[in-house]
Amino acid sequence: MAATAKKTEDLSQFGQTVIEGKNVTKVFGETVTALEGANFDIRAGEFISLVGPSGCGKSTLLRLVAGLIEKTSGDVKVNDDLVTKPRTDIGMMFQKAVLLDWRTAIENVLLPSEMKHRITQEDKDKAMASLELVGLKGFEFHFPKQLSGGMQQRVALARLIQTGADIMLMDEPFGALDEFTRERLNVELMRIVGELKATTLFVTHNIQEAIYLADRVMVMTPRPGKIAEIIEVKFERPRDISIQTSREFNIIIEQVRDTLGSH
Amino acid sequence: MKPVSFLISFLKYSLSFIIVLALWEAYARYGGLNELFLPRPSKIGAKLYSLFVKVEVIEQGTIYWHFYATLAQMSIGFAYGITIGTTLAVLAAFNETFRRYVAPYAVVFNVTPGIAVLPLIIAWFGFGWESKIALATLVCFFPPFINTLTGLLKKNDEAIELFQTIGATQSQYFWKQQLPNALPEVFAGLKLAITTALLGTIVAQFGSATEGVGILMQRFAFRLDMAGSFASLVTMAIMGLLVFTIAEVMDRRIVFWRDAKGLERVSKKKQRKLMVNG
Amino acid sequence: MSYSTSQQTKNISLFKTLPFHLLIFAVLIVIWELTNLYGFEDQIQADMIAPRPTNIVLAMLDIFIIDKTVWKHLISTFQKALLGASIGTAIGMGLAIAATLSLTFRKYIKPWIILMEATPRIAVGPIFVALLGFGLWSAVALAALVAFFGPFVNTFQGLMEVDEEAEEMFRSLGASRFQTFWKLRFASAMELISAGWKLATASAFGGALVAEFIQASEGMGVLIAQYVIMITMDYAFAGLLSVTIFGFILFKIMDYFDYRLIFWKNDYLLLKESEKRRKKAGIV
Ligand SMILES: Nc1ncnc2c1ncn2[C@@H]1O[C@H](COP(=O)(O)OP(=O)(O)O)[C@@H](O)[C@H]1O
Ligand SMILES: [Mg+2]
Repeated sequence: MAATAKKTEDLSQFGQTVIEGKNVTKVFGETVTALEGANFDIRAGEFISLVGPSGCGKSTLLRLVAGLIEKTSGDVKVNDDLVTKPRTDIGMMFQKAVLLDWRTAIENVLLPSEMKHRITQEDKDKAMASLELVGLKGFEFHFPKQLSGGMQQRVALARLIQTGADIMLMDEPFGALDEFTRERLNVELMRIVGELKATTLFVTHNIQEAIYLADRVMVMTPRPGKIAEIIEVKFERPRDISIQTSREFNIIIEQVRDTLGSH
Repeated sequence: MKPVSFLISFLKYSLSFIIVLALWEAYARYGGLNELFLPRPSKIGAKLYSLFVKVEVIEQGTIYWHFYATLAQMSIGFAYGITIGTTLAVLAAFNETFRRYVAPYAVVFNVTPGIAVLPLIIAWFGFGWESKIALATLVCFFPPFINTLTGLLKKNDEAIELFQTIGATQSQYFWKQQLPNALPEVFAGLKLAITTALLGTIVAQFGSATEGVGILMQRFAFRLDMAGSFASLVTMAIMGLLVFTIAEVMDRRIVFWRDAKGLERVSKKKQRKLMVNG
Repeated sequence: MSYSTSQQTKNISLFKTLPFHLLIFAVLIVIWELTNLYGFEDQIQADMIAPRPTNIVLAMLDIFIIDKTVWKHLISTFQKALLGASIGTAIGMGLAIAATLSLTFRKYIKPWIILMEATPRIAVGPIFVALLGFGLWSAVALAALVAFFGPFVNTFQGLMEVDEEAEEMFRSLGASRFQTFWKLRFASAMELISAGWKLATASAFGGALVAEFIQASEGMGVLIAQYVIMITMDYAFAGLLSVTIFGFILFKIMDYFDYRLIFWKNDYLLLKESEKRRKKAGIV
């Protein structure tokens, strides 16, 4: 192992622990160990990227936090509660936008509110605002199939914002988009999380994206899935896209590559 | 109105019909078409005229009465068929035991051409409307069953996870995701069912009937009145097109999100509604 | 937690479920038998509506082994249906191929196809019987007429849905129209085409039976109708059951050929085929 996980980061700028994992292990069936002995500690308002090659257990970790699957052993806690079932104080976003084709953009954004009560004018105003925040003003009444892939992901993000959840889990949300669209959405996501101050766990297999967005990058390695290293990223926020060409940025890239390569 | 675009294309290319009919007529007049087999179009036209315009009474009724009787029998059979089919499908979708142990009977049952049961149906239900309705039901319940089941079981892991994380209950999931998501398949099943229901009704009329276009066809054919037979065939084609168009229009109206035109139409409508409401 | 229908049917082996299947089947049969014996006031009515399973089995024995009446009719119906299905398939596929190759033909055939789809084609039955007689050919003609549509639609859809990039690749290789057709279009449409054959067979049975009901000298339609007229419902049920059983066998055979033919959709067959071709090429 090139470096052991550093446990001495300065987390003072963030609040208390929101998501905590202790020795979390997940075995599918009898033999597939998707995640082994993962330890993590995510503070309020923090943005954590989770990088690693596909199949290393990133989605598994995310789903364990969301309570969508059950752990095999260890503990996952959110806001000091053991996670045992799907939690509604967590919002999720996936690689696919998962929009309902028969609903307009705004009706899709309103979906989380409908689960709780009848739609009010307040909900509608909030949905309009969410859509505006993600840059979709004027597209409220378009159906998903009338929108491009990038715009569909923006609707999904607006829907996530609509939940009002202060924990956001994103599983390769921009993984299916082209490089240009991805970059633009990275910049906007940077702005939006800055505004919302939500705690975010962001899965990606794109190293640049991971570093650009994150306060800390958790690097995972496969077979069995493990958190190999946690790297701090200390650029000031809001960050400009140009930091990606800086020396410091490239040093961190090297560091991530080393960790991934040595496994 | 766009949903009937296939009817428009139908008219657009109706030139090919006219050409075929003209050649047919010319061949019958000047060539050597054996009109015992294939009557010339003008004779079929004349027969249709006497049936529809002069309202000639045949087999104890006008053509309108036979048309109505067939359509009514078909509709009732279709209603029973879709009720049975979708009920079974919902049961099978929500109950794995039912799906595993009972639903296969429907599949095996479907291997027997439903039509083969006709003699038994006539023995049980008699020569009246009941036997026509019963055969229509029997031959048309399967498409709604299998399609609704397939639609409801469509693999949809991401949507399930989404609905879980926003705290949807089982019934919210069903009404807001599962059911609308299944609608394209459901309607494909209904379209198949409505045409098979018509087929079942007509076949049952062959066996035994006092009214219906099926019995007209059979009586004309057996008298070797080919103009009459073909006129009944045209009547059935009209009926088929009518039923088919209704099904198609409903499908396009309700499952609007499949094509760009439908999306645009509903999207505009919703926007307009918003403006009216302020 | 998961919504109840989200659970895909678990893969339990047939070995485990078979006893339950048999049990349920046995229970159904027993209920049926008891209904016949005790469920009706009048035994004649009982035998009319729900003839006893034991009697149906005896009838099966009779028509298949003792009296052997069924064979002639079964062969006749299968002959009509299979001939009709073959002719219908040939016509349907021929039209589909022509429609994919020629845009003009495609345009002009379209309204005819809509008309054909909407018209209950089986209704032509009486005309065919009146003109072609009670024998083999009226039934074959009707079977072919109802059967052609499935292969037509499936072949057409399969041939039209070809991957555009693959097509461009073929063009860049300088493939002729003929080569592109057989090596790309036809091969990639194979799955749908084969499904079309099954549709054709199923509908051809309907066509053959209807022709027999209208009037015929032999065939299962005739046999079943005769048993019903003689009010021997157990025999009528036995007749129906024979159609089901042999139809089922026929479809299983078709499924098997389908499965072998489209070997690239199945991991196991893919391995076997790759092994076979390696051996054939002499590479060990
Ligand atoms: N539901 C499941 N059943 C069985 N194995 C699974 C399941 N989900 C994931 N796996 C396996 O667990 C491992 C990690 O998967 P995943 O967390 O999806 O990886 P990643 O998101 O990093 O690509 C993979 O080997 C995958 O095949
Ligand atoms: Mg993943």
